[in-house]
Amino acid sequence: MEEVTPLQDVMRQDDATRFAFRDDRTRAARLAWQARIFGAYFVQFLKMRLAYRVDFIIDTLAVLFSLVIQLAVLSVMFSKVRALDGWTYPQVLFIYGFSLVPLGLFNLISVNLYGFADEYLIGGRFDRVLLRPVGSLAQVIFESFNVSGLSEIALGLAIMASAGLKLGAHFGVTDALALLFLAPGAALVYLGVFLGITTVSFWVEDKMGLAPPVYNLIRFSRYPITIYSLPVRLFLTFALPFAWVAFYPAAWFVGGERFSKVALLTPLVGVLVFGGAALLWRRGVKNYVSTGS
Amino acid sequence: MSDGATATARLAPWRRSPVASLGLYGHFIRLAFLKFLAYRLRYYTGVVSYTIFVAGHYYLYLALYAGRAAEGLGATVGGLTVREMITYVAISWIGRSLYFNNISRDLARMVTEGEIAMHLIKPFHLQSVMMAEAVGEAGFRLIMFTIPIMLVVVPVFHVGAPAGAAALLWTLVSFTLSLVIYSQLSFLVGCLAFAMKNIQGVLRAQMVGMDFLTGVIVPFTFFPAWFQSAVNWLPFQCISYVPVMIYLGKRTGPALVDGILLQVAWAVGLTIAARLVWRYATRRVTVQGG
Repeated sequence: MEEVTPLQDVMRQDDATRFAFRDDRTRAARLAWQARIFGAYFVQFLKMRLAYRVDFIIDTLAVLFSLVIQLAVLSVMFSKVRALDGWTYPQVLFIYGFSLVPLGLFNLISVNLYGFADEYLIGGRFDRVLLRPVGSLAQVIFESFNVSGLSEIALGLAIMASAGLKLGAHFGVTDALALLFLAPGAALVYLGVFLGITTVSFWVEDKMGLAPPVYNLIRFSRYPITIYSLPVRLFLTFALPFAWVAFYPAAWFVGGERFSKVALLTPLVGVLVFGGAALLWRRGVKNYVSTGS
Repeated sequence: MSDGATATARLAPWRRSPVASLGLYGHFIRLAFLKFLAYRLRYYTGVVSYTIFVAGHYYLYLALYAGRAAEGLGATVGGLTVREMITYVAISWIGRSLYFNNISRDLARMVTEGEIAMHLIKPFHLQSVMMAEAVGEAGFRLIMFTIPIMLVVVPVFHVGAPAGAAALLWTLVSFTLSLVIYSQLSFLVGCLAFAMKNIQGVLRAQMVGMDFLTGVIVPFTFFPAWFQSAVNWLPFQCISYVPVMIYLGKRTGPALVDGILLQVAWAVGLTIAARLVWRYATRRVTVQGG
């Protein structure tokens, strides 16, 4: 007798050819292709933003205003004392300047994480994301930007430069390379922490609002961590690793021998935190059920 | 007179008796209280937020005073000892947990989304409604937010007691006036949305600037003299600096009376200013669909 292929198998095969994303390109080619897509996303976003030039200027002014206030607070503090737990004004200023670079990088791409539960999960935008042959996480992250992040990065670099001049430090090529290595590492820590919080909404509706208290911790991660008590230091190093977004990496430049080795762990911490959050995200996507809206 | 006409007479704000007005706005107070009660879960993490704010400044100021001791400088900064400074920080944030609200953001949203049109045709004054809602929200905050924060912050950071029973009483009066000043100021900021299409940047600046200008982050006595005389002319100090200084017993006798009177003057002045701005702004409001 003739072998009859069961109907179900036929369908499965058919589905497979229909839905499988035929991809015989190399991994590098695929990455370059994705980078081009997200580059196009960014250009598109910039065009959209520049249509509202006044908004952009006001946003930048708001960033500048908050910076002036932070600097005023720091300078007033240091008009009353020469050193906080041994850290002088230029050193603390440098840490603050450094903190703005990863924060700017993070702010640039993180806008969509805040509204993720409302817009993507409840509003149904996530269905559209899943239909496209590009990673869901990358799409969500790159679908919108916050251009004021760019101002933060520029201002952070300027503050680092001026604090460096005050310290009389000579920054060379190694330091520039270290910055290229440490700042994105620190930004990954931010991204990992907030991605982790966002991912929770795949399972439970976040009625508590977990992000704000965590976000509010950021401003205290800019000060030398040594001023805090031991439990707080341990908490910021291991539990909610915000010590790695500013103090530890910045200490590579201004912290002397004591912190230079620790600082170099920053990118590793970034990869660990972000990797953990990305894994959680993948499980969340598997768990995702559309609301149908 | 037909039933419809009596209803109009009752509803029309210019025919409403003061008692009826009080009843109407009293209703908004109650509704706001109930609305926030429904969202009370959010405020549990808020307690953590405020504790973080106080903790961060606590360590910062401890380091500052310890640094001064090590450098052989005086034990008081800007007239405050380290204990008073910790109390200053804690009471500032406890007070903020009470008077804070989002009037500017809510008003801006109503304007940009066109919802404002529906409010303009209703027989009430939106400024008074928002003030009433702010009172209701503050009532909710007092019970579900400010008191829990106090229960955590006061023992953990050894916050000092008020300078006396009278000081405590006047602090409460003063923070009540802060609520009016903060709300009216916030309403004025929200009115900017009539002139600008997008005020996200302004709202962000308000978020950042307010805590600084009200003295929540650093007391004004830390600043150079020119800055102190500049803030004396601004309403912000009446939101936090004045009540906290009363609590600490740094404002007594005539200075206390001056502080309270200044608060009353700003509360009245800003309410009138907001009324005028509102009148001008609503005359030329354009709603784009909505």
